[in-house]
Amino acid sequence: MRVVLSNSAGLPLYQQVKEQLGTAILSGELGEGTVLPSVRALARDLRISVITTTRAYAELAAEGFIATVPGKGAFVLPLDSALVREQLLREVEGGLQAALDAARRAGLHREDLIQILDGLIQAEQYDAIQ
Amino acid sequence: MSSDLAFALRGVSAAAGNTFALRDVTFALPTGYVMGLIGANGAGKTTTIRCLLGMYPIDAGEIELLGHRAPEPVALRQDVGVVLDHTYLVGDWRLVEVERTLRPFYNRWDGARYRQLLDEFGLDPRAKVKDLSRGMAMKLMIAVALSHQARLLILDEPTSGLDPVSRDELIGIVGDFLLDEGHSVLFSTHITSDLDRIGDYLTILHGGRVVRTGTKDEILEAYRVVRGGPDDLDDRVGVELIGVRRTQTGAQALVRTEEADLLSGDVLVEPPTLEEIAVHIGARVPHRDPDHRADRRQPDSSMSARRVA
Amino acid sequence: MTTVARMAVLDLRTVWPYRYYSLAVFGLGVLVFASRPMWMVPGLVLLFTSQIAPYPFNVADKAGLETLYAVLPLSRRSVLYGHYAWATACFVVTATAGTALALAFARVQAVPLGDRTLVPMLTLSWALFAVNIAIQFPLLVRFGYTRVSVLGTTLPLAAVVGTVYKLQLNMASIQNWLPLLGAAGVAAIVVSAAVATTVDRRRVRYGRSVSST
Repeated sequence: MRVVLSNSAGLPLYQQVKEQLGTAILSGELGEGTVLPSVRALARDLRISVITTTRAYAELAAEGFIATVPGKGAFVLPLDSALVREQLLREVEGGLQAALDAARRAGLHREDLIQILDGLIQAEQYDAIQ
Repeated sequence: MSSDLAFALRGVSAAAGNTFALRDVTFALPTGYVMGLIGANGAGKTTTIRCLLGMYPIDAGEIELLGHRAPEPVALRQDVGVVLDHTYLVGDWRLVEVERTLRPFYNRWDGARYRQLLDEFGLDPRAKVKDLSRGMAMKLMIAVALSHQARLLILDEPTSGLDPVSRDELIGIVGDFLLDEGHSVLFSTHITSDLDRIGDYLTILHGGRVVRTGTKDEILEAYRVVRGGPDDLDDRVGVELIGVRRTQTGAQALVRTEEADLLSGDVLVEPPTLEEIAVHIGARVPHRDPDHRADRRQPDSSMSARRVA
Repeated sequence: MTTVARMAVLDLRTVWPYRYYSLAVFGLGVLVFASRPMWMVPGLVLLFTSQIAPYPFNVADKAGLETLYAVLPLSRRSVLYGHYAWATACFVVTATAGTALALAFARVQAVPLGDRTLVPMLTLSWALFAVNIAIQFPLLVRFGYTRVSVLGTTLPLAAVVGTVYKLQLNMASIQNWLPLLGAAGVAAIVVSAAVATTVDRRRVRYGRSVSST
């Protein structure tokens, strides 16, 4: 299990923990049933506060990634395809919104954006062939 | 006897000579977490800790420690470990003697743990207390505090004067201590970076009063640091500029988040760091009460005195 | 072992690093009274009670042991009574060793030292010790050793010695007063302990210059 926190990421620590664990779970790196360290053990290892890890776990549990058993700890739940899809859709939306904001600042129009998107997809397909 | 609070102070006031060292202090820590007590020198941190431990008499309010109302039974001290910024042992005692001396008083003294901790900290059992450097002395007191299975660890400025390595080691020790959810820690310091990451709850003291208390996130959310040009931050109605610092090139202050919107648009508004909160609150000069008359103790005060210990 | 006894042992450990000083004091006393074995025990007892019995207060002041007493599961009452128990233990040890030495010196000097002398000697020693401690300890508790200082521990001694001299006390003259002396000693300690407990509430806290926050 790998969690690396950054002081300068600008993201609150609990969010960094949550996102890194979430990504690891989505990618399958943390498989279904994997037992996660307790909130206190994680807090001790990362040298952050217990409330921070508790919050990260709580949000992961609320979103269906993990389940916490009082007194026993937490473990990874099986990936629910609907859940995964919802999570990924949210990421797409977020990414596109960020792109839109940047585009507005750059003065780009919808057509320019679509051009860039096609270019990126093409580049990916090209890389995949290589 | 509620066991969900490690300790609680409610409306505690304590006099020191003609003035009040503490005034209406209220805060509490749920079991299992770290409470950081922040304030400048003279803010009342050490007095608060002394009152909590029954070492200093309070004049008003009530104190609860590990579920017991003050005055606590003396036996409760079995569960409390105390680390101060100075050793309170005889300088000429050797570290082995320290154990021999303290062991008879504790029901659950764990000699093996003490020796193990001395070893981990690199302390020579044959060394004398007075020969320890500041960092080593702090570690000794921690070893003592951790060797009788205490549930509550009280640290009064344990890192002041310590090198960064020792400070980091202390943070690790606190983290280990908290692996048990029945353990709690009160950590008073004027070095906010100690608490930046591991603080769960914070209480900010200034002039013997509690400025704010709550979770670290709540407190960071409660304030904004605002920076602007020299003329951008003026005293306007509704906005209190906390600890405003003006220079030729600009001005900086802390404001409450809800008041931040009232400032004109030219200022930079950002979430503060703990350091900035502590610095600005600590720099604050009370405007309305320059002689501290409200704080001065009246000889015929009708406040009920409540002696502790 | 009761808490009071544990506290007395703590006092012992407090002064243990300085035991050679105590031995030196003892040795000095022995030298001074070697030629007057009859007065050896009272003399040694007085010397010890003025220098060694209050010594834990001295060390406590400098090392901030008041904080240790407050951190340990130890009531104030146990702390105070423990100090008295330590002093009494000092008396017992000094009186025992002193008696043995006095007997030895007396034999060497062919001075008779029988029961008729020993009993008044010990009783007088007890009374002198008790009065000395009874005066010193409440002062030490209330003001701490640093403020009381050497003056405070030596003046009672001087007063007691002066009184003995003035009254021209010797073993014969006090024969009839022995029970009274014994009881007076006990009473002095008991009263003193009560006084100490009372003034303890107003004692100088944290006279050591640590940060005043």
